[in-house]
Order: sequence, then C-alpha cells, then structure tokens
Amino acid sequence: MGFIMDGLEAEDYDRQYSDKVLVRRVLGYFASKRKAMALVTTAVVASTLAETGSVILIARGIDQLEREITLGTVAPLIAALLVAGVVYWLANYIRQRFSAQATGDVVLALRRDVFRTVMARDMSFYDEVPTGKVVSRVTSDTEEFSTVVTLSLNLFSQVLLFLFVTIVLVIISPLLAVVVLLLAPFIVATALGFRRLARAATRRSQRAMAQVNANVQEAVAGISVAKAYRQEATIYGEFKEINQRSYVTNLRSGFLYTGIFPLLVTIAGLGTAGVLFFGGRLVLDGNLSSGEWFLFVQSINLFWFPLTSIASFWSQFQLGLAAAERVFSLMDAEPRVVQTGAIPTPALKGEVVFRDMDFSYSPRQQVLRDFNFTIPAGETVALVGHTGAGKSTLGRLIARFYEYQDGDLLIDGIDVRELDLPSYRRQLGIVPQSPFLFSGSVRDNIRYGRPEASDEDVERIARAVGHGDWLETLPEGLDTVVGEAGRALSMGQRQLVALARVLLGDPAIVIMDEATASIDPLTEAQIQEGLDVLLADRTAIVIAHRLSTVRSADRIIVLEQGRIVEQGSHAALMRAGGHYADLYNTYFRHQSPDYRPGEGFVQVGAGADAALAAVG
Amino acid sequence: MAVQASDMQHAAGQGYRQQTGPTGTAAPSEFTVRGAFVGDRRTPIRWIVSHVRRNPLFIVGFVLLSLLHNAVTSTVAALTGTAFDAVLDGKRETLTAIVIGVIALMLVRGVADLGAALSMEVLGKRLSRDAREELYLSLLSKSQTFHNRQRVGDIMARAANDVSMLSHMMTPGIGLLSDSLISLGMPILFIAFLDWRLLLAPLVFLVLFAITLRRFIRNLQPVAEAQRGAFGMLNAGLAQSITGIEVVKATAQERAEEERFQHNARTFRDATVAQGAVQARYLPPLVLTLAQVLGLAQGIWLVQRGSLSIGELITFVSLMGVLHFATFISVFTFALVQLGVAGAERILQTMNEETELDQNSGGHQAEMRGELVFEDVSFSYEGEPVLRNVSFRVRPGQTVAIVGQTGSGKTTLTRLVNRIFDVDSGRVLIDGVDVREWQLDSLRSQISTIEQDIVLFSRSIAGNIGFSLGQQVSREQIEQAARGAQAHDFIMTFRDGYETEIGERGVTLSGGQRQRIAIARALLTDPRMLMLDDSTSAVDSATEDEIQRAIRTLQEGRTTLLITHRLSQIRWADHILVLRNGTLLDQGTHEELHERCELYHRMFAHYEDDDAFPTAAD
Repeated sequence: MGFIMDGLEAEDYDRQYSDKVLVRRVLGYFASKRKAMALVTTAVVASTLAETGSVILIARGIDQLEREITLGTVAPLIAALLVAGVVYWLANYIRQRFSAQATGDVVLALRRDVFRTVMARDMSFYDEVPTGKVVSRVTSDTEEFSTVVTLSLNLFSQVLLFLFVTIVLVIISPLLAVVVLLLAPFIVATALGFRRLARAATRRSQRAMAQVNANVQEAVAGISVAKAYRQEATIYGEFKEINQRSYVTNLRSGFLYTGIFPLLVTIAGLGTAGVLFFGGRLVLDGNLSSGEWFLFVQSINLFWFPLTSIASFWSQFQLGLAAAERVFSLMDAEPRVVQTGAIPTPALKGEVVFRDMDFSYSPRQQVLRDFNFTIPAGETVALVGHTGAGKSTLGRLIARFYEYQDGDLLIDGIDVRELDLPSYRRQLGIVPQSPFLFSGSVRDNIRYGRPEASDEDVERIARAVGHGDWLETLPEGLDTVVGEAGRALSMGQRQLVALARVLLGDPAIVIMDEATASIDPLTEAQIQEGLDVLLADRTAIVIAHRLSTVRSADRIIVLEQGRIVEQGSHAALMRAGGHYADLYNTYFRHQSPDYRPGEGFVQVGAGADAALAAVG
Repeated sequence: MAVQASDMQHAAGQGYRQQTGPTGTAAPSEFTVRGAFVGDRRTPIRWIVSHVRRNPLFIVGFVLLSLLHNAVTSTVAALTGTAFDAVLDGKRETLTAIVIGVIALMLVRGVADLGAALSMEVLGKRLSRDAREELYLSLLSKSQTFHNRQRVGDIMARAANDVSMLSHMMTPGIGLLSDSLISLGMPILFIAFLDWRLLLAPLVFLVLFAITLRRFIRNLQPVAEAQRGAFGMLNAGLAQSITGIEVVKATAQERAEEERFQHNARTFRDATVAQGAVQARYLPPLVLTLAQVLGLAQGIWLVQRGSLSIGELITFVSLMGVLHFATFISVFTFALVQLGVAGAERILQTMNEETELDQNSGGHQAEMRGELVFEDVSFSYEGEPVLRNVSFRVRPGQTVAIVGQTGSGKTTLTRLVNRIFDVDSGRVLIDGVDVREWQLDSLRSQISTIEQDIVLFSRSIAGNIGFSLGQQVSREQIEQAARGAQAHDFIMTFRDGYETEIGERGVTLSGGQRQRIAIARALLTDPRMLMLDDSTSAVDSATEDEIQRAIRTLQEGRTTLLITHRLSQIRWADHILVLRNGTLLDQGTHEELHERCELYHRMFAHYEDDDAFPTAAD
C-alpha cells in the first residue's frame, strides 16, 4: 500500500561507490533491454495522459450539459471517455507485462554474473563473509537492484501525472491552482515526518521484538524440563509476562502504521473542502465554469497519492543503490589465489614439499614463517597440536584454498601455482571436519565429485568403506535421501559418505580434518576401517583428533605456533615424554579404553630431545 | 540432604496438584490453569471467532466507526453535488454552509477512520497474544510423551510464524476487506436514494467485478505458488552451494553448480514473468471504467429528460468514484485472510493432538530399589519396528552401558522405562512391578533423565540448580549438589558465583559446564534410577575427568542406563547391551563380549595393536 511503508527496516550502510557510478552500471545491465524499456516508458506516458484526459473530458462534458444536450454533443464525449479508459488499461497492461519481463531478464543476467564470481572466490572470502550474507547478496540484493529501475519508472509516471495535472490546473485557473498546490507541502511533510518517526519506531520495536522472541523461544524450550521437574506453573507465569510485553510492543508500532493513512486522507479531504469553497466562489463570480470546478475537485484525488510516493522516493532509491553496490563490490573484489600457469596436472605420485613458506591469514597473525616440510609419496602424516598451531593451514595450502605470501609449495616437484587448478584438485581427496552433504540420495553424494561414475562403481566403493555394513543402517541403502545438508543422517554416517566420496575419486593426496564430534563406537570403528582403505598407499595429511588415528599414522608431526617441534611414531614420542606426551595427556588420554578419570597420565619432561634424535 | 530434598519435592508436588484442582483428575491433561480461556477448537474459523469475540467493545467500535467512516465518505460525495447545485442556482450562503459541513465531516471521517483502524489493530494483536497463550498452555498440558516426540522449539518457531499470520489477517487483512465491502455497499445505497434507476451501472459493475476478480484470483494462485516455489528452490540451492563450497572446490565441480544455479534462476525468472503477465491482466479497473461510462451516459440521458439535476449527476459520478478503492484493494486482502486461516489450522492441529496418557493415580506407589527387568520387549513407532524381543535384567545400583549405532534403538529403550512410550508386547518391570502398574507420578519422580541437549533457563545458576524444587531450597543444598557435580569450582570462578546469570544477558556456558549443572539439578531431586545420555563428550581430558567424576557421584547407588560413546565408560560398566537394528545382539561384561561378540570386538580393534600402551598400571 504505497511506497511510504517500504524499506523502513533497512540498515544504515556506508557507501563506497558514487550514485553516478552505480546508476551508470545499473543502466548498463538494462542496455540490452532498450526496446522493452522504451515501450514501457511510452506506456507510462500514455496511461498518464489517458488518466488526466478522462478527468478533463468529464469536466468538459459537465460544461456541455449546462449549455445544451444533444446526441451529437454527448456521443463523442462518451466515446472519448471509453477510449481513454481502454487506453489507460492497455497502457498499464503493457507497462506491467514488459517491465516484469525486462527486470526478470536483467536480474537473471546479474545473478549469473554474481554467482560466477562467487564460485571463483577463494576460501579466504568465505571465511570473511558468512554464508547468509552471500546468499542474500545473490538473491535479495539482485532483486532489489532492479527496484532502482522500477522505482525510477514509478517516479517518472507520478511526476508526469503531477505535472500534467498542475499544468492543466494552472491554465484553467492560476488562483485556484495555488489553493491546490498549497496542499502539496503538507502532504510531503507528513509523509517524510512519518517515515522518520516510523524508522526510529521500527528500530526500537525490532530490538524489543528480538528480545521478546528470544525469551519466548526459551520459555518454550524449557517446557520439557519444566514438566520433568513439575514446574509448569513457574514457567507459565514467566511466559505470560513475556507474552504481554510482546503484545504491548507490537501494538505500539502497529498504531503508528495504521495511523498514517487516515491522517493523509484527512489532509487531502481538507484540501477538497478548500477547493469546493474557493472554486464555488469563482464560479459564482463567473470566473470559472462548473466543469472546471469539478476538475479541480477531482484533481485532489489524483494528487495526494503520487505525492506521498514522490516524497518517499529518494530513500527508496538510495536503498536500491545500496543493494546494487553490495552486488558490485562482491563482483569487483580481486581473488587472492592466483595461478601463474595452467599446466594440465599429470598423474601424481603424491610427494609434497613446503619450502621456506611464509603464510598469514591476515597481516596481524603470521601462521607460518620459513616453514620447511617434506612428505614423501605414500606416507600418512598425522598433525597434532593445540588450536591455532597451524594444523589446518597446511591442508588448506595444499588444497590451494589460500594464497601463501612467500616460499614454494611443490607437488611431485612442480610449483603448485603452475598447475591447472581443476585438474589438480581432482587428484586431491579432501575430508572436511564436518562433512557437507548435498540434498539428494547417498548415491548422488558419493558420486558428487565424479558425476560420470557408474552405479556399480559407486556400490563397489561404498562396500569398500567399513566392510559396507554401514549401508544396512540406512533405511533405503544407497538410495536413502540425506535431507537438507545431510541432516537425515547421523554425523558418523555423513563421514562415511564423505569417505566414500573421496575414495571414488581415487586421489593421490588425501587431506583430512578429523571430526571432533563424538560418534558412537561402532560407527567410529567403521570409519577407522574406511580410513585404512582410503589412506593405504596414498599420501595423507590428517589433522588428528583421535587416538586411534595418531597411533596408526606413519609419522606424527607436532606443531606449535607454525613450527614443527617434534616428530616420530606414537610409541617413540610417548617414550620421549616431550611435547607429544604433553598433548597426549591433554587431548588423547581420555579416549583410551583403559581410561579412568584422573588416571593414565604419561610422564612428561624427560628425554624430550631424545625423541627428535630418535627420529632423526 | 537426600531425604530433605525428597520431602521438598513432595511439597512441591502437592502444590502442583492443587493447581490442577479437583477436576484435574478427570481431564487427560497434565497441567491446567483455572480461568484460562480455551477457544472453540472445532474449526479454524470458529476458533478465530471465539477469540475475537472476547473483545466485544473493539468489534462494535470497529464496525460502527467504519460504517460511520464510509457513510461520511459517501455523504461528502453527495454534498459535492449539492454544492454544485447551490452554485449553479447562485446561492452563495448555501455554498459556505456546505463547505463548513464538509470540513466538519472530513474531521469526523478522519477520527472515525483512525478509530476503526486502531480498534482492528487491537483486535489483531490481542488475537495473536491470546492464540500464543492458548497454544503455550496447551503445550504445557500435554504429556512428556508428546514433548519427547516433538521438538517443542520447532513447533513454537512454526507457531510464531502462524501467530503473526493471524495478526496480519486482522490488520490489514480483515480491516481492509470489510472496509472495501462497506465501500462497495455504501455508495450503492446512496445511489439508490438518489435515483433508483441509476443503480444499473453500479450493479452491472458489481456482477462483473465479482466474476473478473474470481477469475483473476484463480489464475493468480497457481503462478504465485510456482513463483514462491521457484524462489525457495533458488535460495535453497544457492545456500547449499555456498555452504558446501569447500566440497565444490575440492572436487572441482564449480561448473556443475553454476549450471544448477542457472537452471534455478531461469525457472524463477520464468515464473516471475508469468506472474507479471497474470497481474497485468487484472480486469476490474477496466470493468469499473466501463461501468462509469455507462453510468455517465445514463445520467446524462436522465438530465436531458429533466429528471436529474446537474448537481445530482455530479453526486452520482463522485459516488461511482468511491468504488475505486475496493477495485484495487480486494485481491490483496483475500490472500491475507487465507493465510491467516491456514495458520490457525496448523495451530489447532498441534493443540488438538491427542496424548492418551493414563496417569494411573491408583497405581503402585513405593520407594524404588531399582531392579529393572525387560521381558521380551518389542516396540514400534509409527509402524516402524524400533525394538524387537529385548530381554535383560539389571540388579539395583548397577550401571548398564547401551552400545549401538545411531538409530539402533538406544534412546527408545530408555524411554520405555519411564513410560514416555509404552511397550507393544512384553513387559518392563521395576522392582518386579510392571511399569504400567506403577502410579505415573511415583514412577517418574524417581527416575531422572539427562538428555544430550541440556536446557537451562535465563536465570541465576542457583535458580537453575534449584529449579526442580521450585526455589524452595537452601543455598547449602544447592552448593552441596554443585560440589557433587564437580560444578562448584567453575561456578566460583564467575564474579557473581551462584548468582551469575546464564544465557542471553549473562554468561555462556560450555557444553561440559551445562552438563554438570544438569547433573547438580538431578542430584538435588535424588532419583532412584538414571537415564543418562552422555554421548557428547568433552574435547580435552581435564574436563572429561571432571564430568566423569560428576557422573560417578550421580551413579552411586542408583540403577543407571548409560548411553555413551566413550570406550572406557562402556568397558567399566557392570553390564553391556549391544543393540543392532533394534535387536539385542549380545549382552554381558566387557571381557565376555570381547571374547565372543565380533561387533563388540571391532570397536576396540583400532586401539589394541602392537606396542606397549602406557596406562596408570605402568
């Protein structure tokens, strides 16, 4: 119901591009729609002319009636009115239809461009911008982007109507036109004043509502506990109070919104009274015909609604531009991961060498400095260390998710920057900490990275993971639908699917971030068995959180602040009693089947240096 | 302390029973509040009406004021005509009088319009407030069975949406709808008084308007639905590509994702264009124009014959202009009303859900020793068998670990003990008495459950621990429970100690801390049996030490069914049940199972290879 209500809940936003630049780029997208837009503009002019025209026609008719009534004078009038009405409707039809088409096409093109750039961004981008924001930029902001144009069209038609009516009025009676125009500032001021009040009120009530909603949520979550402990009356009392608060908040903001239209209508009504009075006197004095007088009375109704739209145009327009800017800034940002070559990746053996590597996520925190590390092809390496030691970083750099600042990363002796990225990544197998599944079946998900794989291949791979008996727990086997983000499966099942997905790709290098989430011991055993298959004869970098994993790794690397402080096998490092033993006491001790609270500590301190020596 | 605490609980329990009142025994609900309003739940519309009717003052206010508002609008149109006649007759004083009248009427109309709108606003907001309250009360009165089956948080989140739809249904929905109906009727009534012959055009308009509007709504519904659906697909697909970006990149599937997205975006674009085409074909304005021209022609003809004055013709044209409002507003209001009724229907569904619960108030009542026996128990849920022929026996005070994969029936098994579910066949016996023979109150008050997701309230830590006893508990008792749960030390690290607020406005507790608060809460009620889900475990050993100590305190002397992922906890349990797809694959001690159960053995396989493994024994 009018633009006066739109965009009140928008956030404030600092702009970086100028209006001019933004408008030019927005129009650029509409360039290919020039014909359709011309048609729409013509339709806008036509409908406005028809609208003004029919009022004038009626006024003329009234004057005619005073003088004489014959079929010859009345018939053309009626016919003209009919034509004006039909033209008005048709013009509106054309306008709606073609503007929907043009904006639809533009939004589609824009979305395609935005999505492409989003897909091309490296992982540092996704760390910085939360998923919800990216999604809203691609869907809502692009939609709002097109409002810049529809709003302008609207403004155009409103201004046109306002101008036509004003011109006609001024020509007929400048004096009475002044009376009508006097109304304009009141309407505009009221509309603007309302928007200012309403924005403030909306913000206040949003904050209040958020609080109330959070409270209601909690009161509801508490029901089952309250029932378990028989405290229904207590929490009912609390709920009632919260609910009442919510009612008062809602009602207060509701009053403001419902109040504005009666106010505007009343102002317009007082204008009508003014026109009746002054116009009537002019007619009595013979300075105005009665038809013209009628025209003035009607004009008030043509007037006030466009005026409120015009008054709220500017802030609407700015919102549209802000959306456009969010979209463009997303598209304009430079990707940080840059490939210097595109050598098709040969079949990899899987040797990984970090040479004098410097890396930081942001200038403030250096993660790796002069880092040197070699993983021979086929070795399974477990990375352990406290949070922030740089364990995950190594995997991410190998996956080329982030750009390093200095040094080299060599894969089978080739600089990773020289490689063609898609063909390189196809030879990597990455198992993230909480595996993501796409909606669809288990089969679809296993096949995700290799859409060309046959059903038999998928089945064979699935059976190879954990002896395949995990498939029994899926109600429909491989055809089980995993639900949104895989939620229909347990965390453990999702990991098994992720393992099968990676195994199907037959990667040369496996990068695995082990889950910290707790999984039932049977599924856990299946995952371990799956890993035995996956990691055999492949280079593997495992960020280890499980005791069983570290124990079976070829080599354990202990990281501390981006440096390797200790390495060797589990047994050797335990005997050494150094950094690893310390980590064992902190993270792994309680995972042992022999664990009892407070027991099972390993001696730390003696022979820490011996461990390094032992491994050499 | 234990004895005192259980006395306290008794007192609290009595308080609760008092609230239920004498009628509480007959009703199947677990909790009622005397004097609370219950709507007519037979149909959504009746339910809405029964709620709205509770505010007769505002209904009457709304109806009278909107009638007044519309009557004034039409009167002004009529007065405009009179003014023309007066001027054409050269009556200057009459013009002034009329204009003064118009100004007065405009002010009256403004006030009436405002009053009607505000009345409707109150009706709408009260409806949503009262609906929410009735729903809440209904949820409170439902049995644990219901609450364990449903995620109440989800129900309420959905309900929040439905409740706001109710509010939108009233304002602007019904407010505008009745306004547009009245604004159709009022001018036609005035026209009838003006000259009944002039009714021709407005009546033709009414008929055509109804027909074209109906057709429009019919055409719009499918395309609008298609557009909403396409948008949902677009958004969901996009959110998925972005959330799964790591997988997309790792498997180099950017191209495929792009194609999928483009397909969705194109579908949405097509749906939008189709909707635009339907909306553009909105016929009522054209119909109104035709009727206005027809009316004008007839009016002129009547003027020509001398039976209508020019002023009356102008009155007529102005009155026809009033019809404009309804022509543009109606579409929008129908959709809102429909959505509101659909919302009410969903709320009613939740409220009307039956929970046949047999309180068994005359049943067995005794202090539990804690002997638990499952005799050939089978249970299915919604047609799916969950447990099949499960039999085992637990001596008082023993700890039983339940091992099995997600979905193997572990949680369901524990829920058969405190009768959240009842067995289909077989028996569950506590101290030799079938749980169905126990008085429900007596049964449940002696069994404590600690679930995986722990709910704490936004209040002080002391308030949360003492929650079970309705705050009528001394600080010493709370501290003692907290010490037993290994929670005292971390509580004291907060500046406000036990008075520290938890949640929104207070501190956020870690998973391990929440678990210990819940253990303290359970300790205070001193249950005889425990259903303990300890499947989310701490990441570091120090926290694990404290949690395990707390659990050990809680287990002491209490029969415990323990669901855990920790191998050590399973290993040290008195008795272990291995579940697979709802059947009890094997049971026994760790040594026995390790010896003979292949599946059980597999769980430990990765921990017992080659070399020496240092333990405390070394």
